[in-house]
Amino acid sequence: MLDMILSQAVNGLVLGFLYVLIAIGLSIIFGMLGIVNFAHGAFFAVGAYLAYALGKEFGWWAALAAPLLTGAIGVVVEMVLIRHLYGKEPLLGLILTFALALLAEAVLRLIFGGAPVPFSAPKFLAGFVEYGPILMTKYRLFVLVATVLVLVLFWAFLAYTPYGRIIRAGSRDPEMVGLLGINLPIVFTGVFGIGCLLAGLGGMLAAPLWTITPSMAAGAIMPAFVIVTIGGLGSFSGAIVAGLLVGITTAMTIQFQPEWSGAAMYVLMAAILLIRPRGLFGERWERFE
Amino acid sequence: MPYVGSAAAAEPIKIGMIWAKTGSIVDQSEYLAQGGMLALEQRNNTLLGRPAEIVWLDEPNPQGAQQSAERLVGEQKVVGMVGGALSSFALAISSVAKKAKIPYVAANAATGDLTGKSCNKYTFRLQPPVDVHARILAPYCASIGKKWYLLTASYAFGQDIKRAFTDYITANGGTVVGADEVPVGTPDYSSFILKIRAAKPDVVIGGIAASDLTTFLKQWNELGMKGKIPFAEISVGNTDLWGVGPEAADGLYTITWWYKNPDNTPDEQTMAAAYQKKYNRPAADKAWMGWLGMKSLLDSIEMAKSTEPGAIVQALEAWKYRRGDLDIGYRDFDHQMTSRLLVAGIHPKITDKWDYFDVKAELPKTPDDVAKAFGTKADSACKMDTL
Repeated sequence: MLDMILSQAVNGLVLGFLYVLIAIGLSIIFGMLGIVNFAHGAFFAVGAYLAYALGKEFGWWAALAAPLLTGAIGVVVEMVLIRHLYGKEPLLGLILTFALALLAEAVLRLIFGGAPVPFSAPKFLAGFVEYGPILMTKYRLFVLVATVLVLVLFWAFLAYTPYGRIIRAGSRDPEMVGLLGINLPIVFTGVFGIGCLLAGLGGMLAAPLWTITPSMAAGAIMPAFVIVTIGGLGSFSGAIVAGLLVGITTAMTIQFQPEWSGAAMYVLMAAILLIRPRGLFGERWERFE
Repeated sequence: MPYVGSAAAAEPIKIGMIWAKTGSIVDQSEYLAQGGMLALEQRNNTLLGRPAEIVWLDEPNPQGAQQSAERLVGEQKVVGMVGGALSSFALAISSVAKKAKIPYVAANAATGDLTGKSCNKYTFRLQPPVDVHARILAPYCASIGKKWYLLTASYAFGQDIKRAFTDYITANGGTVVGADEVPVGTPDYSSFILKIRAAKPDVVIGGIAASDLTTFLKQWNELGMKGKIPFAEISVGNTDLWGVGPEAADGLYTITWWYKNPDNTPDEQTMAAAYQKKYNRPAADKAWMGWLGMKSLLDSIEMAKSTEPGAIVQALEAWKYRRGDLDIGYRDFDHQMTSRLLVAGIHPKITDKWDYFDVKAELPKTPDDVAKAFGTKADSACKMDTL
């Protein structure tokens, strides 16, 4: 039994990292722009479909462009729609991004049809690695490494680059950043684009594992919201810890009480919010009070 | 004298269609809806010499399905309904059909309750119930091995499969070495697959539908299980496999219809050709189910020469459709359609992106065996009410 628990824990970690990748974009968009982006799952689906379309047309390596294209779509969406919501009633953002999510699903259905489309991992990532009781496929290992790499790079970008410092400062006091002569609209556009790029990357990495359908966003957006809530809204490290917690909790519930596996992350969220209403790493943000 | 026209002559006859436009079953629903619309188009969109139209509403969940049915009856004044992609949706629509006294054809739902203990005079069901599928597939699975692992969805369809296959294998000297109920919309099955791998069953019996099945099969292959432990499931559709892809597709299934079956009737061949021409892809089994479900309702309205619900119900009870040596139709005592099923594996090498199924048999063989597989009136849990 101990072997099985260990195996499930490692498997849960991999799942958790994929969730982190999806959630982190949602978290920074909220942290910086104050927008609860209901369309985040739609960008995840767009990333998966772009990976499928590019991979089918030009080969698997072309699928790697999918996150960049998703980020570019995000930039356009921010410039056309999202920027009109800054400083407005939060409900407006919810309604608009919810409508955007429905629109994206309808557009994907129009272009690709409602039936799922096939997409597999590249041949060189086929097969699996066994270490004692732990079984991990090469592709999941690749997802794990890629996600950790992206998270480290993103953390370094936020911590050590001038642009990262502007984002961090802007997330706390955008007015002051603006008064310092920094072009905030461009920063906001960049942040939204990065958030969408991360969602697209999640979609691309999940495409060989999940079913690619226009409604696949639903499978991504709920765990992402739960993770952001557990970790604390806008918290980078909170999203990572929460993602791993959700992954492991889900895997363990499947092992011992499978019929509860869908509800496990919500129970975890409720329990954590009862103890820490702002989430694990949530802080008091003056601009949202 | 001024002309006084009949208002009814100008009013189109409305048929309600409830198939999911969002959610996990939407991929199958697209085909079910297209098949239904094709059935009306083949009549030049007319019924009883009047224009006819289909009003298609969504079924995002059971409550949404019920609300759509209420809207179709109350606002659109439909004369009949077709729909209910999932068993839980169909049960919800059926309750509205009973209350509003409007004929309803459930073309896809497989739970036994629909024509069992929850049957009613206004509900007709096309899909064979889980127990019939199980009677046909279970002997194939038992011939592979007697240690089964059940992975079933946590709603009526999955629970029926769990019960039917557990009953069969325990009655035939086998064992269930594991049984997991899976929430609908589960995005990652790897933890379930690890449990199955550790349990070392001879066969895995699935009871998960549509895109959930597609996801499972992709991850089953990814974790190296394809070809190691046989996987079997009832009532699977073409669309479920098309999304899996040739590399990952695997399993032993019962299917209701196959576009390449040489025994398809001329009507079915015409439908398949029209579908291919219109949508530039083969007619999936779900397109056939949507088409036949709608056709049975439209034929019955013509037979009844009326849009009066009671007359349509009586016509539906009398409606027959000849397939080979078998008259398929809805039984009067439970409104279940009796028909044959196909047992299919997957081609070892898939060369045509639409053609995955390697059809092994069409069962039951004789009309008497068909009747036996569906059970007699005495076996039925249905206590049919009156008009």
